Amino acid sequence: MMSAFLCDRLANGAAALAQYGGGIAPVTAPDSDPFDSGMWELHRLEYLGDPPDWRADPRMRVLTPRNAEDASHVPIMVDATGLTDPVTRIVITIDYSPLPLALIFHPGRALPLLGFGVKYEIAGPIRATALADGVPARMGGAFIDAMGGGCSAPAVAHTRPDWQQGFGEMRGRLFPDSGRLRVNIRHPMDTGLADGIPAHHLTDLQLLDAQGAPIARIELRHPVEENPTLTFALPPDLALGPVRIEARDSNGYRFSGEVRA
Amino acid sequence: MITRRTALLTGTAALLTPLAARATDPGYHLKPAEIADGVWLIEGAQDSFAPANGGAICNIVMLRTDQGAVVIDSGGTALHGAALRDFADQRLGGVAATLNTHHHPDHWFGNQAFADRPILALPATRGLQAQNAQALSEGLYRILGGWMRGTVPLPAATAVTGGNMVIGGRELRLLALSGHSQADLALLDPTTGTLIAGDLLFLDRAPSFPDADLDAWRGALDRLAAIPASGIVPGHGPFMRDSRAFAQTRAYLDAFQDRLGRAADLGLAPAETLAAGPMPEFAGLGANPEEYHRAVVQRWRDFEDMALPLIGGTA
Ligand SMILES: [Zn+2]
Repeated sequence: MMSAFLCDRLANGAAALAQYGGGIAPVTAPDSDPFDSGMWELHRLEYLGDPPDWRADPRMRVLTPRNAEDASHVPIMVDATGLTDPVTRIVITIDYSPLPLALIFHPGRALPLLGFGVKYEIAGPIRATALADGVPARMGGAFIDAMGGGCSAPAVAHTRPDWQQGFGEMRGRLFPDSGRLRVNIRHPMDTGLADGIPAHHLTDLQLLDAQGAPIARIELRHPVEENPTLTFALPPDLALGPVRIEARDSNGYRFSGEVRA
Repeated sequence: MITRRTALLTGTAALLTPLAARATDPGYHLKPAEIADGVWLIEGAQDSFAPANGGAICNIVMLRTDQGAVVIDSGGTALHGAALRDFADQRLGGVAATLNTHHHPDHWFGNQAFADRPILALPATRGLQAQNAQALSEGLYRILGGWMRGTVPLPAATAVTGGNMVIGGRELRLLALSGHSQADLALLDPTTGTLIAGDLLFLDRAPSFPDADLDAWRGALDRLAAIPASGIVPGHGPFMRDSRAFAQTRAYLDAFQDRLGRAADLGLAPAETLAAGPMPEFAGLGANPEEYHRAVVQRWRDFEDMALPLIGGTA
């Protein structure tokens, strides 16, 4: 199946990706939940605006590890470029998270492709649903087991670094040859669920072109990983840069940076 | 839909009920082999922790001395440790002392069975054992279920440093290194020339990277390679009289670094790098592609930090 993933840039990567899969298997009944989970109906109502029509769509590709090796950093990549209908937002939900809504991506003039990381404590599906007016909601996803299995299974408990050190530091790069843009922000992304640590997370990140016009936007929520890195794909004209990145968090801090080709 | 429903239920059941109910352990059947005079190897399965192997995945070495065995690594569970202890008691006149090469659980979760005799490890290893015992134990209970019955991780009680040491009349040369983990102990048995490398060497099984520092690891390999040895026991994989484990481990570290460095430099995201699978020449090693998948998650940030320059900060 066609995808905008770049696995093929690595030796044997295309064959390995084909074997690895990514996303749900083709479904016989498009409006039945391939994960057969009770949360899906609830989350459609709560986070997707109760779309009148929806389908499980294997063209919504979702790459994840099969096991959450490191429960605080589970890498996810969503590719909706295989859809032929328009996409105005992509909503990421985690079925069995105490805070199920991870983020809402408004691709705008970027491609409907996004890489990010989430926290994952409980085995279950993560879903990416593409929404636009006048077309059915299209859902893809993957089941992630919360069991690790490494030599140090599970990932060794993390000691919390002092978040103020390097707080807000932004790293990034534009890759004109592939149109990729990657940006990382040092941020604790505290959920507020841990004792004595109030919620403090990024709420919004925007990409702007040289004229200051918006390219794409993300609304971020607590399940996104600490020190998040986001991966975008831009069309050739925008990939020439420069691109400005602006972000805000729940405590009113603002962050900005710029990448050039 | 029935197959999917079943698959999901299995996943959910794994989550909600203790796995102890699921695994029926047939016990540990050790196959000790005397690889040199008074040097016994109990080879681990060339795989990851799984109910099929009960966590018996790393190599255990026992050296015969006048006062019983010097046991190098104690196994992955209390029951595994007990089986190893039985062998030492029956065939080697008991246990003189036990050494833990590093803090990964497959190498020391059998310590309980050896607690009546000294258990030694590098100082940093002891600290990491204490610090991570609970998290490691919880993870292994979930993976191994009943095999873990009675396992209460017991960190090594005694610190050792590099240098020569005599136990039960047998001389040992200890090398304090790092790279696979923060502290890796390797041993030379000068009597036979056997090098017991711990997880600094892997053979025919993909190296694991949860705590790896690739540059330090290469430095440790240089130091070990300078030691004349008649035979080499890797942490995982078969005993060999040649230096194949050195060549393969070094080549794997280089190829892994090259693949992740390239991926980060091309703008790939970690999920893509993972799905692209291991380096083709190492795809067939034991525990791959799973070990490669884990390694991408464990080490990705090291490569990303190098690939992404500073572009801004708080406005
Ligand atoms: Zn190890």
